[in-house]
Amino acid sequence: MPRFSAAVIDHFTNPRNCGRVENADVAAFVGNAVCGDQILLTARIRNDVVGEIAFEAFGCSASLAVASILTERLTGMPVPDITRVDQARVADWSGGLAPDQQHVAVLGSDVAHRLISNYRSGISDDAGTVCGG
Amino acid sequence: MELAAMLGMPDQAVRMPREEWQRSLAHAVRDVFATHFAENKFYRAQCDAVGVTPADIGGYSDLHRIPLLPVGMFKQANAHVLLTAGLADIELEIRSTGTSGVPSVARRDALTVTRASLGIFGAYRDFFGIAKGAGLFLCPSTAEIPEMGMVKVFNLLTGMLDDHRFLVRDFNFDPAEALAQLNRWQGRMTRHIIGPPFIVARFMRYLELEGIPLELDPESMVIMLGGWKQYTGRSIGREDFNDKAQRYLGVESARIRDMYGMIESNMLAIECEHHRKHVPPWCHVSIRDIDDPAIELEHGRTGGIAILDAVNTAYPGFLLSDDVGEVDETDCPCGRTGQTVRFRRRRHGAELGCCAVSIEKYLDSSEIVEECELVDAAGGV
Repeated sequence: MPRFSAAVIDHFTNPRNCGRVENADVAAFVGNAVCGDQILLTARIRNDVVGEIAFEAFGCSASLAVASILTERLTGMPVPDITRVDQARVADWSGGLAPDQQHVAVLGSDVAHRLISNYRSGISDDAGTVCGG
Repeated sequence: MELAAMLGMPDQAVRMPREEWQRSLAHAVRDVFATHFAENKFYRAQCDAVGVTPADIGGYSDLHRIPLLPVGMFKQANAHVLLTAGLADIELEIRSTGTSGVPSVARRDALTVTRASLGIFGAYRDFFGIAKGAGLFLCPSTAEIPEMGMVKVFNLLTGMLDDHRFLVRDFNFDPAEALAQLNRWQGRMTRHIIGPPFIVARFMRYLELEGIPLELDPESMVIMLGGWKQYTGRSIGREDFNDKAQRYLGVESARIRDMYGMIESNMLAIECEHHRKHVPPWCHVSIRDIDDPAIELEHGRTGGIAILDAVNTAYPGFLLSDDVGEVDETDCPCGRTGQTVRFRRRRHGAELGCCAVSIEKYLDSSEIVEECELVDAAGGV
């Protein structure tokens, strides 16, 4: 298996939905304190379905790509379904991750869950990240 | 001398006559500049904006014309634009996290990894002459933090040693354990201490407080990387450090060696016995006016440190760092030719950022947690 899957290469090189959604209903931030990988998702959610969603991310190539992949996969997804997005699903969406990239799948599922948790609690994270994309 | 020859024989490359060194360096830098100019759209746009092409780099005196990338760009989310190589060719991602928590990530392709590893390995041989002995690494292992630049660079030393131990685990450092390990090696192997200055200083402080001055071995070395400024902003004084190292480790000043580098560059400047940090012959340091980095300052003047790196094929290794210092091209008594670089400080406004700062911050935070646990266990206030 190559070090980076085709999906990771594609999303790293051509990130989708990079930035922040204006007037977002919810924002979720997750960061790995040790390695420094960070993902911020902002989204509009209507009738318990994700509408517009965008990301800001910093860190390794796989984490940037996974953040972009998440925004594509979560668009149009009902909130209850997102709670079932786990590490294995994120790794599958990424086309497979090398052993040293598995932490990114955890980061991806964590930020997806946090998005829904924040939405249900009516709170938003305010991360001081800035998107360069 | 061709780049491949320089990397294969760094001991000879750093002792080339001045004119030959300048010619070899300019040739190597111009070659890699031509590659990035032709194959990197983002970088090509920077070159077009200032009207510089590879044909303009005729020799050593033209190197300052090569456009620079600010290292801050390696923290940006769209850092993919920096790559000349495709992500499929990237073999290694090295990172450093400063006080902001946003990582700087440098991606290296196979050729760059091979060249950089060869260059660093050869430079270790030339500067340290180590081929055996035991290394007490006062830092985490690459197994614990595989992508941290500083530990990756230290880790290359382990292959030259007969035994080694990494003494920072789960962001904890126990100086008593370090002392016990040194004692286990005593009389069997030459003992070397390797790590960022602040942890070596902690270990010496422990020896001082416990009243246990050590006498390491005649060929023992203290090898450091990671900067002398702590995350608190306090600096460790080099002379004071050397004095303590002689008193509490029994290592003479000439065998205490610091190194300077940054993860975005493959340049590792290593101190000789005269404590001058030698720029490897495949790299060039240019000192820039802090207010106008387009202006190159003459040797000896203090300014922003820019690095031109001839071994990097993954992205243009022509970097304007956040560091301030000087470059010296006078002959060094050690016999090496070329440049030596001196780091002074970080540029005003730049975050304090390096691998060592990250480790220190976490070491301290875990110690605070442990102290709180002790207080709780004692029913403390």
